[in-house]
Amino acid sequence: MTTNDKKSVAFKTLGCRLNQYETDALVTDFSNAGYELVDYNASPDVVIINTCTVTNQSDTKSRSVISQSVRKAKNAVVVVTGCMANNFKAKLESQENITFVVENNRKSSILSLIDAHFSGEIVHPDQLPQDVFRYEPVHKSLHTRSAVKIQDGCDNFCTFCIIPMVRGMAASRPVADVLESVRKTVENGFKEIVITGVNIGRYEDGRVRFEELLAKILEVPGDFRVRISSLEPDGFGDDFVKLFAHPKLMPHLHLCLQSGSDKTLLRMRRMYDVAQFRKTVNKFRSAYPGFNFTTDIIVGFPGETDEEFQQTLDAIKEFNFSHIHTFKYSVRKGTRAERLENHLPEKIKSERSLKVRDLSVENMKRYFESFIGQTQNVLIERISEGTASGYGENYIPVHFKLPGAQKNMIIKVKLTGLVGEDEDMFFLGEIVGE
Amino acid sequence: MMSLMKPDMQMDVSFYKVEEIRHLTDETFSLKLPRARFAFKAGQHISLGIVGGNQSREYSIYSGENDENLELLIKEVDNGYFTPRLRKLKAGSMVEVHGPFGKFGMEPELAANGKFVFIASGTGIAPFRSIVHTYPGIDYRIIHGVRYSKEAYDREEYAADRYTLCTSRDKGGNYNGRLTGYLKSCTFDPETHFDLCGNSNMIFDALEILKDKGFDRDQIHCEVYF
Ligand SMILES: Cc1cc2nc3c(=O)[nH]c(=O)nc-3n(C[C@H](O)[C@H](O)[C@H](O)COP(=O)(O)OP(=O)(O)OC[C@H]3O[C@@H](n4cnc5c(N)ncnc54)[C@H](O)[C@@H]3O)c2cc1C
Ligand code: SF4
Repeated sequence: MTTNDKKSVAFKTLGCRLNQYETDALVTDFSNAGYELVDYNASPDVVIINTCTVTNQSDTKSRSVISQSVRKAKNAVVVVTGCMANNFKAKLESQENITFVVENNRKSSILSLIDAHFSGEIVHPDQLPQDVFRYEPVHKSLHTRSAVKIQDGCDNFCTFCIIPMVRGMAASRPVADVLESVRKTVENGFKEIVITGVNIGRYEDGRVRFEELLAKILEVPGDFRVRISSLEPDGFGDDFVKLFAHPKLMPHLHLCLQSGSDKTLLRMRRMYDVAQFRKTVNKFRSAYPGFNFTTDIIVGFPGETDEEFQQTLDAIKEFNFSHIHTFKYSVRKGTRAERLENHLPEKIKSERSLKVRDLSVENMKRYFESFIGQTQNVLIERISEGTASGYGENYIPVHFKLPGAQKNMIIKVKLTGLVGEDEDMFFLGEIVGE
Repeated sequence: MMSLMKPDMQMDVSFYKVEEIRHLTDETFSLKLPRARFAFKAGQHISLGIVGGNQSREYSIYSGENDENLELLIKEVDNGYFTPRLRKLKAGSMVEVHGPFGKFGMEPELAANGKFVFIASGTGIAPFRSIVHTYPGIDYRIIHGVRYSKEAYDREEYAADRYTLCTSRDKGGNYNGRLTGYLKSCTFDPETHFDLCGNSNMIFDALEILKDKGFDRDQIHCEVYF
């Protein structure tokens, strides 16, 4: 920073874990540069809004956050970045109250843009370097879990998905760089890292593919555990399953099924079928009983018949996903699904979405109940009135009493009961030992 | 830190002048563009735009990796948005090419040793011509489903005993009826690799037939057009 007074910055993030990671890395950049991190209600000098455009709902939310920020932080420099900045660049640039619109591939250089702005230099965001991997390892004060970005972009072109248009082609971060980032993140004190990207199963740096990269990450010295964010269910074999025997790798995968109907999957241009998905799930569950699978489901995709939807419900029951992100299909302009025939009315989508939600809650209850009496190593993320809470290895939420508890400790806890309703269910536990 | 970027990571956009248009039927034509330095793997597709237009569509590459031109095979679709506009292009018109994209295609080692059955509906034959041009020695069979025999695009380029035309609306095919009817009657070596390309209904039916014949889904690769 070239000015003498300490400037303040506020962040707002919408959307996926990758966006959250990129914000965390920007926060680290700004605080290292001497900016004060404040809430966006506290008249910050700079507001950075990291938007999402994956569904219509995300567009609406992003728009509303932008207008709130502009209203609340009247004299602030307003930066809009993230996927919406790619998808609606011209429209956002024409809004007078937005100072800068920065596309995803230039997001990592926002600090230079703001520094230049405060020192009187006129820099257009399009002059910033394009680099999707320039992010600094996240500083430990932000969360107990840090993502490490290994990949960006996707060129699968699933017919419903806008991501290839806003994140660009698949690109992999060089192995050495990933490992360095893991090392630094662990040095920064994180006990858990989440391997993140847009389509991480497509990781490929020379001869190193995703499985090999993961094996290398697990060999990085230190006391930490590893999670995988979300994964497309194609293209991994037995070696990948075997890796989960490693004590650092947590027994949970968010494997995106999207539909339980092979016909719908083909219309979505998803390149696996339900039988292949079943094979993967069975391999994991026979090697690691109790392995946790969560998933994404799209309901009401164009042309989805009652029978096809029923196949989805059957698949949800069979695979016993403990949690489901349900998306009512929403048209994304410019995608192939926009031009498919037989778009379904909102009413049917809502009815189907409710059915999936109900099943998801039933599944969650059944899955959680199977853990009562077992022990889990819980990473403490929050402490409130003497109660610590966090997630066990299987990504199940646990609350327990621990005098002197501190964030970022890993504690062995026996699961004694289940409380809470619907998707807010969590375990109560008792300490077994540290 | 531009050094972190691998050179092949960026979204490639190139502008080309249409060199030639080959009319194959009343509705189907090929666009020939200069290949210049455009590198791709046989089987991949590109995204094509018309300079000055605001839409683009995906097209499999119809030419081989080392052919002189980058060629696309396009069918004008009734009530379509893009293809009627493509149809109006002339030699000299400017187009925009993004890509190449996709994992559908051929690995050189596999092409040298594998046995392939390519199953295509309509313009879904495009990636297979690219593969056959790139690997002339490849051990393949093509089963091509169309409505009329005139849609057997460039059939003279394939050895007669490797190409089977199935016509559903005239009697000019090697098999008169839907491709899936023919497929049911076929027997294949257990080690065969299957590549399917075209519309999702055909692909769904063909997949079911192949699975019924005992082939593993991992032996079958699909490229869905619509
Ligand atoms: C990976 C990929 C590769 C493709 N490669 C080719 C190719 O090599 N050649 C090609 O002609 N098309 C190809 N397509 C289809 C192409 O992208 C367009 O959809 C097509 O050219 C029609 O565009 P349009 O705007 O005129 O009609 P749209 O508005 O896009 O489509 C209208 C309707 O036409 C039908 N349709 C779409 N494509 C075809 C087709 N090829 N034949 C018959 N009916 C069709 C569908 O029912 C569709 O809903 C490919 C699609 C994908 C996803
Ligand atoms: S795999 Fe499909 S859904 Fe996932 S980012 Fe790529 S195009 Fe989108």
